[in-house]
Amino acid sequence: MKIAVTGGKGGTGKSTVATALAFELAKKQKVLLVDMDTGCPNDHLLLNIERKPVKNVYQRIPKWDFGKCKRCGLCGKVCETNAIISVKNKNPMFVSSQCNGCGTCVIACPTKAISWGRKEIGKIYEGSAHGVDFLSGELKINEPIAEFVVDAVKKELAKREKGYDFIIIDTAAGTHCDVISSLTACDMALAVTEPTPLGAHDLNLIIMLLLKLNLPFDVILNRYEKENEPLISETIRHYKKSILAKIPYKKEIMEAYSRGIPVKDDSIRKIAGSVMK
Amino acid sequence: MKKITVLSGKGGVGKSSIAASLALSLSKHHRIICADCDVDAPNLALVFGLRENNFEEWKPITTNKKAKLKPEKCTGCMKCVESCYFDAIGWDEKNKKPVFKDFGCEGCGACEMICPEGAIELFNIDNARIGYGKTKYGFPVVLAQLEMGESGSGKVVASVKNMAESILSDADIMIIDAAAGIGCPVIASVTGSDYVIAVTEPTPSGFSDLKRALQMVNHFNIPHSLIINKFDLNPGLSKEIERFARNKNIEIIAKIPYDKSFMKALVNLKPLTEYDHKFKPLFDDIAEKTRERLFGS
Repeated sequence: MKIAVTGGKGGTGKSTVATALAFELAKKQKVLLVDMDTGCPNDHLLLNIERKPVKNVYQRIPKWDFGKCKRCGLCGKVCETNAIISVKNKNPMFVSSQCNGCGTCVIACPTKAISWGRKEIGKIYEGSAHGVDFLSGELKINEPIAEFVVDAVKKELAKREKGYDFIIIDTAAGTHCDVISSLTACDMALAVTEPTPLGAHDLNLIIMLLLKLNLPFDVILNRYEKENEPLISETIRHYKKSILAKIPYKKEIMEAYSRGIPVKDDSIRKIAGSVMK
Repeated sequence: MKKITVLSGKGGVGKSSIAASLALSLSKHHRIICADCDVDAPNLALVFGLRENNFEEWKPITTNKKAKLKPEKCTGCMKCVESCYFDAIGWDEKNKKPVFKDFGCEGCGACEMICPEGAIELFNIDNARIGYGKTKYGFPVVLAQLEMGESGSGKVVASVKNMAESILSDADIMIIDAAAGIGCPVIASVTGSDYVIAVTEPTPSGFSDLKRALQMVNHFNIPHSLIINKFDLNPGLSKEIERFARNKNIEIIAKIPYDKSFMKALVNLKPLTEYDHKFKPLFDDIAEKTRERLFGS
């Protein structure tokens, strides 16, 4: 069973829940934790896992044979991401960081002067601690497309997933490209939120996405305080959902987190109990 | 117009709360405009108590294209399926026709280009909504929201900044609230900024993400300073962050203690300094330091 931990808004406690849940489930089950927040991967820090690099992630990029190039300017014209600046009668200039590897320039070139090269855009790591096996992807600084690193982690995951009872997948913040790619690898999702209007607003967005993806989900409320709970319970009522578990808002929990200690709380045991059913 | 970007790498460290209160303090001496560049989950307007139904403008925009099939022309050669780098074209074995998926199309045009029959065309899609509202504090907030499942966040971020420049072209300062992470939309937020304020917290994640975010900022050669929020949560780690800043010659312009007012202000739809006045001097001081960095003293 593959469970995504997501939430829309940043900092609602996705990694806190993902690591604590993995830790709790690993007491009796075989668990693989996968960090797909490739821009800001943190799960290894929370569980004190020393990561070892497994492989590099590459993205294809075009390269030019200027001997064959007629300087017609077509490659620049068809490039939707402004990665190619071509002026007629001059060699095209290539801005690698803008390129998404789509290949339109390669197809368009009338003299087949463009072929494929590659650039490194990230790395995949592995590790284990507290009985939890671990896999994570990390985007290289200044590379824009986190989704490609997520896709590479998914490929690596497909090779390794046999034999695990639970695979916990921690997604990035947000609701787009890389998060969608992470979610499509999963059987269900846990949406982690906080009881503020911002948490409620972003929870709504992620629920709309989960519905669109047809992914069953439960809602976890972090930083729970009784007086603010209605903000979230009202939000999810019209989805006919109730809050699965509430993690209390205590400075002690924040402090434990700031020291890299997995959260131990009844709420986490409740989530574990629920996903084991 | 000077542009300041507030970013953090890690989400939930207090970016929007800090951006809003800084905006309020800066607005005492300057014409300002805020740009919420978290187009996945825009929240800055909410921090000012502004909801969608109070926006002055809220309209669809097109920054992306999408491919679609003209089935009558398709001969089922599969070249489009092979050409798609984004795995956005599937294959219907029964009908021997490509299937254009709901998610993943970047509108690059590779399939259109490769199709020998001219059976694929690109069309413009409204991939986001964009608009602005006027806060009760006298300055506007521009924001956008990507449509569910659509791509092109970088270009939408650029549109938000353009709209902010056009609706208040004589503003002195644009305050940009960036998304979490360090990918495409954050790079688009930082591009062209005059100054970056990085917000962090003394947690292993907060510190690690800060370092990654600052590497990106350094790549663009943008002057920057640091705010440590919740600094008393882990004094040891805060000291380590301060040491890091000293070694890198980064000025720490504020250390803010952990305070539940941050969350209570959000719940009450007010900027922190309006909800809890004790924070006013602190943010006036941050604003003063920011002014010095932008305009000299």
